[in-house]
Amino acid sequence: MIENIQPKRLAMAAFAAVFAMSCSASAEGTFVVGKAADPANLDPAITMSNYEWTVNFQAYERLIRPGVDGQVTTSELIGELASSWTTSDDGLTWTFEIAPGHFFSDGSEVTPAAIKFSFDRMLTIASGPSSFFDSIDTIEVVEPASVRITLKAPYPPFIAAMATVPSAIVSPAVMEHEVDGDMGQAWLAENTLGSGPYMLTEWDRGQQIVLEENPHYSGTSPFFDQIVFKIIPETASRRLQLEKGEIDLAEDLPLDVLEGLQSDEGVRVIETPSFGVTYLYVNNQRPPLDNPMVREALSYAIDTQSIVDNIYRGHGTRMRGPIPQGMWGYDPDAPQPEHSVEKAMALLREAGVAEGTELNFLYSTNDPNYELIALTVQANLAEVGLDVTLTNLVNATMREKVDTGDFDLAPGNWFPDITDPFMFYNYWFDSAKHGLAGNRSFYTNAEVDELIRLGLNSNSQADRERYYGEAQDILNVEFPYVYIVQKNDLIAVRDDINGLVLNPSVPYVYNFSDLSR
Amino acid sequence: MLNIIRLRLGMLALVLIGVTLITFSISQVIPGDPARLIAGDKASDEVVANIREKMGLDKSIPVQYISYVSRLATGDFGTSLRTGRPVAQDLKIFFPATLELVICSLILATVIAVPLGVASAVYREGLIDHLARLLSLSGVSIPPFWVGLMGVILFYGRFDMLPGGGRIGTGLAPEQVTGFYLFDSLWAGDWAAFKSAGYHLILPVATLSFLNIGVVARQVRSSMLEVLSEDFIRTAKAFGLTRKQVIFNYALPNALIPSVTVLGLLLGDLLFGAVVTETVFAWPGMGKYVVESIGALDFPAIMGFTVVVAFAYVVINLLVDLTYLFLDPQIRMKG
Repeated sequence: MIENIQPKRLAMAAFAAVFAMSCSASAEGTFVVGKAADPANLDPAITMSNYEWTVNFQAYERLIRPGVDGQVTTSELIGELASSWTTSDDGLTWTFEIAPGHFFSDGSEVTPAAIKFSFDRMLTIASGPSSFFDSIDTIEVVEPASVRITLKAPYPPFIAAMATVPSAIVSPAVMEHEVDGDMGQAWLAENTLGSGPYMLTEWDRGQQIVLEENPHYSGTSPFFDQIVFKIIPETASRRLQLEKGEIDLAEDLPLDVLEGLQSDEGVRVIETPSFGVTYLYVNNQRPPLDNPMVREALSYAIDTQSIVDNIYRGHGTRMRGPIPQGMWGYDPDAPQPEHSVEKAMALLREAGVAEGTELNFLYSTNDPNYELIALTVQANLAEVGLDVTLTNLVNATMREKVDTGDFDLAPGNWFPDITDPFMFYNYWFDSAKHGLAGNRSFYTNAEVDELIRLGLNSNSQADRERYYGEAQDILNVEFPYVYIVQKNDLIAVRDDINGLVLNPSVPYVYNFSDLSR
Repeated sequence: MLNIIRLRLGMLALVLIGVTLITFSISQVIPGDPARLIAGDKASDEVVANIREKMGLDKSIPVQYISYVSRLATGDFGTSLRTGRPVAQDLKIFFPATLELVICSLILATVIAVPLGVASAVYREGLIDHLARLLSLSGVSIPPFWVGLMGVILFYGRFDMLPGGGRIGTGLAPEQVTGFYLFDSLWAGDWAAFKSAGYHLILPVATLSFLNIGVVARQVRSSMLEVLSEDFIRTAKAFGLTRKQVIFNYALPNALIPSVTVLGLLLGDLLFGAVVTETVFAWPGMGKYVVESIGALDFPAIMGFTVVVAFAYVVINLLVDLTYLFLDPQIRMKG
């Protein structure tokens, strides 16, 4: 056994290990992903984090998929299970013509009834994903091959939401695995049953997840017939295994490691702009932060350019207003305050904020950048006479405090999931969404509420742009948040891998079925 | 002897009640809404309320505790909030993985540390004593993640001798009998799996035991020194017994009694030390599981972990006490 290893035996062991490893190195038809942790659940009606979507995205198809331009997806929408779709003039009725010839991995056909079942199931389970679809009133099958979805109110992002994981079409056969009326939740948490290019065949918790090609997949058979997710929690190990070619893609590497890998032979770092942002929640209900002038002062005092340059090492751009650049609704005229101690001081003095006023700054180490941001903000605000106390909490506790408004300042990340500005306007500023639900600054403005709700529920693009634009004008002078950075997506892959496309709205979701070596 | 076992089992029940009560209370005091964590950041308040109700989180705390403990009594650990899987199912996978790592480390630590301790006592202030001291000092002062990472970088990254992490090669995992891969693969007669499991164990076991070899060796040394200065050793020497006989037949058994206690306690340390080691080596054990569960405030999983570890700890210490009976006839008589 191990405890009596002699030098000679160790040498033999080493030889054998090298031999064993050269055999186990990624096989031709296998793509290996290094992931830091297991997803918790694979049921598309339950999963709400991009991190979990890496796996279950592959097993399902949706009515719609996004178009592709180079290495990124676009906001153009293309039919996947739907061959075409129409919407009524009032925007309330959507009719999807279902393409024939798509099959679930159990061999049964994807029928309009299956699509109705899948949406009904998601809405009945009423977990996280259903909140994208609370505007759905009824779902009907229209013979011979259509599905008609009626909305309670016009909801233009509806069609873009059809391209996300929560809209994945699940086979009605999951009901055979129903336990205690759970609609197959327990089973689907660790199995897949969809019409996507891959299906789950093995899950060794904490070790690996194996997806194999779905034999009934209607599209072209993918180059990689097997996708393996190796669970490698340690960053250095993920990097090492990528360098040695044992994995083909490594997730969650820090920026300095990614920069180091750029010059590595055999590894390619893909960098694309994303709609993911990092910003500061400013508790709008707590004095002195309830005064817009003080919040404006913060925007001048905090050196966001230096955060982008030094913490994000230039892999991103400064935000200008809430909407990321590249998404409609982005306001090129929104203020982007340049770092100025004098202006901040003047505003604070005008607002009557005393020297030495105390603020607390909550953060977790869930994102390693939060701590660096915290230190920068503390130093910047000290220059203008504000005394910031940093509190590092475990993520769950920090979230609770953010949810209940028990903080002054806190950093946060946001990915829109759905490529539509409503994911910013209607989440960040609606007073009905105070707390974790989206409005984490507890911003309250009845006029803005009305405008953004009109912006969400108007049927014409021109109206939406107008309402959101008017809301933006108010937000431009109210400074509900401190906008920091619109980040780039960086991902390290082996350099012989072709065809990787990233979705700027949804990190961690890859197009494995289009890849080749 | 039966009395001791009976008494200990009675205590076990008390310990478990105490542990569940404390863990449960702490978990209720920590701010954090598990329903919100499950629902996801962007979920609406109605969805969160719906989940809270489904999970029984809207019930009062004593009601939640009583329903938890009564289910536990029937062997039902409940369902993980995070994964939606029965906690028992997860523990069945992760606990043996940790135990295999910890037991192998304990064996390695013992096999190296005891002779090292004896040698440092016998050759006091000699080269071996100084080396043992150095080893012990570095074991205590070097952080385990660093040792582990260096191991990976050297033996995997540079020399390609050992695997860079994980528990076994892809596709080799044996059918679960005990959950100990070394045992299960032998049981199945799968030599390739046994070898792979063995290679995967080398680095994590070496890392985990490196930290403890020194501690045990120092302990063995000091009790050896104490015993060696006792009258009966002088008497034994006076009777003309060989040095070997004196050391191994008379001194060592006496010196080992406190060392067994240390080893028992060490097992506890190893269980917790395994958390770091598991992360570095991508070892799918309890440590990683419980850290993820704590991050999600997944009470059933945290409680399940605590109960199992407390149980293991009490049982191990019972075994330690039973070992005394074999080492020391005086205790045997009293028992």
